[in-house]
Amino acid sequence: MAQQSATIGEIPRGGHGVATRAAASGWIVPFAAVVLIMALWPLLVQQPYVINIGTNCCFFAIGAASLHLIIRTGHVSLGHAAFLGIGGYTTVLLFVKAGWPYPLALFAGVAAAGGAALAIGPIILRLTGKYFVLVTFLLGELIRMVFVEWVSLTGGAQGITQIPPPHPLLSSQLAYYYLALTVSALVLAFIIRLLNSEVGRAMDAMRQAPSLTECAGVPVVRFKVMIFAIACALVGLQGGLQAPFLRTIEPLTYGPLESLNMVVMNVIGGMTSIVGPLLGTVFLVVLPELLRDYVLMQRIFYGICLIIVMAFLPGGIVELWSRLGRLLLRREGR
Amino acid sequence: MAALLEVHGLSRHFGGLKAVDDLSFSVAEGEILGIIGPNGAGKTTAVNLVSGVIEPTSGEVTFAGQAITGLAPHILVAKGLARTFQATTVWTGCTVRENALRGAFRHLYPGFWATFLDTNRAREMRAKANAVVDELLASLSLTDVAEQIADSLPYGYQKTLGMVIALAAAPRLVMLDEPAAGLSAEEADHVRDTILRVRERGISVVVIDHNMRFIKGLCDRVLVIHQGRQLAVGAPADVLADPKVIEAYLGTADAAAHR
Repeated sequence: MAQQSATIGEIPRGGHGVATRAAASGWIVPFAAVVLIMALWPLLVQQPYVINIGTNCCFFAIGAASLHLIIRTGHVSLGHAAFLGIGGYTTVLLFVKAGWPYPLALFAGVAAAGGAALAIGPIILRLTGKYFVLVTFLLGELIRMVFVEWVSLTGGAQGITQIPPPHPLLSSQLAYYYLALTVSALVLAFIIRLLNSEVGRAMDAMRQAPSLTECAGVPVVRFKVMIFAIACALVGLQGGLQAPFLRTIEPLTYGPLESLNMVVMNVIGGMTSIVGPLLGTVFLVVLPELLRDYVLMQRIFYGICLIIVMAFLPGGIVELWSRLGRLLLRREGR
Repeated sequence: MAALLEVHGLSRHFGGLKAVDDLSFSVAEGEILGIIGPNGAGKTTAVNLVSGVIEPTSGEVTFAGQAITGLAPHILVAKGLARTFQATTVWTGCTVRENALRGAFRHLYPGFWATFLDTNRAREMRAKANAVVDELLASLSLTDVAEQIADSLPYGYQKTLGMVIALAAAPRLVMLDEPAAGLSAEEADHVRDTILRVRERGISVVVIDHNMRFIKGLCDRVLVIHQGRQLAVGAPADVLADPKVIEAYLGTADAAAHR
């Protein structure tokens, strides 16, 4: 949001340094407000089922927001769930089978997802547009097939069940919710701060005009690889935290449908601002839960919602906000 | 005076097509070199090769005494070799000042953690980059439109802004790819004066264009490229009177005489 208001205008003349600093820290108050609301509502609603939806929301927000980072550099990855899987499987295998302490296993999961991205990134990030989409889709499938086929290690299609809670305290749903909220708030603060820094401005520049950006002195490929690795490490963190929450880990969770879901979260929410994937996450995690009693209707309603958003809000749900603002301004002007 | 940029035997072949073939030229410190030639002669390819956007098949490029053949554009910018583009001259949706600041990236970027944490060094660099950009915008007469969205401005302004973006990196040599293309005679004159002001800053210039009047009033020397090879090089008046050049542009010398 801060990013957007900076591009739309109203920067006072001559005071550029001051204006950018104000815009760069303007996100903190609304962000803190949202975190506070997220921290307080479970005290009012004490049904474990509802709290679990909240936990899932916090976890999926990490994935959607980290994919947003990659999208902001100009690449749509259809293999993001595979890195979710790398983080998840590495953590669970080390924690359950090798008996590592959970924090260490989680750290290894994050490093594995980030490391895999760092190894593959320099090759695939030179591809653009649909070629990148295709290759990441295939890469995602390849990694998922490893989860399915390496039965002796991963348990194959059945996966690994009855994963114990990482800590005795975390056997309560509420405790896990607060863990998820804390981690996702930290990750989001990191991402927002990154987008507001020179790195974020360089990302926007390279998405719009890669050659021009390279010739302005930005090491474009190196930046893209760095962002890709950070984003995949973060989604690996989601994987490592979420698997013990779900108590099971299976390849189906990390397939193309899940990758597509993360892309849709970004598209439906809006791709130009970090608020987009967050709205998209709430929409895509909460809506199916609300429609759980109407399984047949669920897909239809979901599809209709997607079509409506795409047709009337091509910039995503975020656009509602700016449109509303414009409408109010026009009223005042009259 | 030693040459700032030296290009020796530069070639780029796309399959059987020799887009640039055994091209050699040099640019002296403070010189304005014009590169002209018919459509498809290989002018833009030559600039792409020197600026590192594409890699040469063979040949050598030396800049300020250092071999720079095949280096990536962002490394060349750091060494003082900048360029503009023919089509994508500015970032759309951003103000003129934001565009100029993006060009100043190497003066703005203090490293990942420094910019992430907005350290004192990051702030100092930002203040300095802002000052550099303010001075440049004033010098090329863009201060009045500094807060306007770049792509909403007339084409001439965008071309000038393209130069500001390249100059914001503080280069020693800047290569301009058709800075006057699509401009009216009046606007082209303005761009020409701007380029002369750039040279007054002590920056060498390589400029590609089709417009003879524009090139004549601007360049110290002109290099004519035809089918990827050097056709002629020298003072503008001599080169433009060269029968070989007239033939390349207009067909046979006879045909030119009948006009």
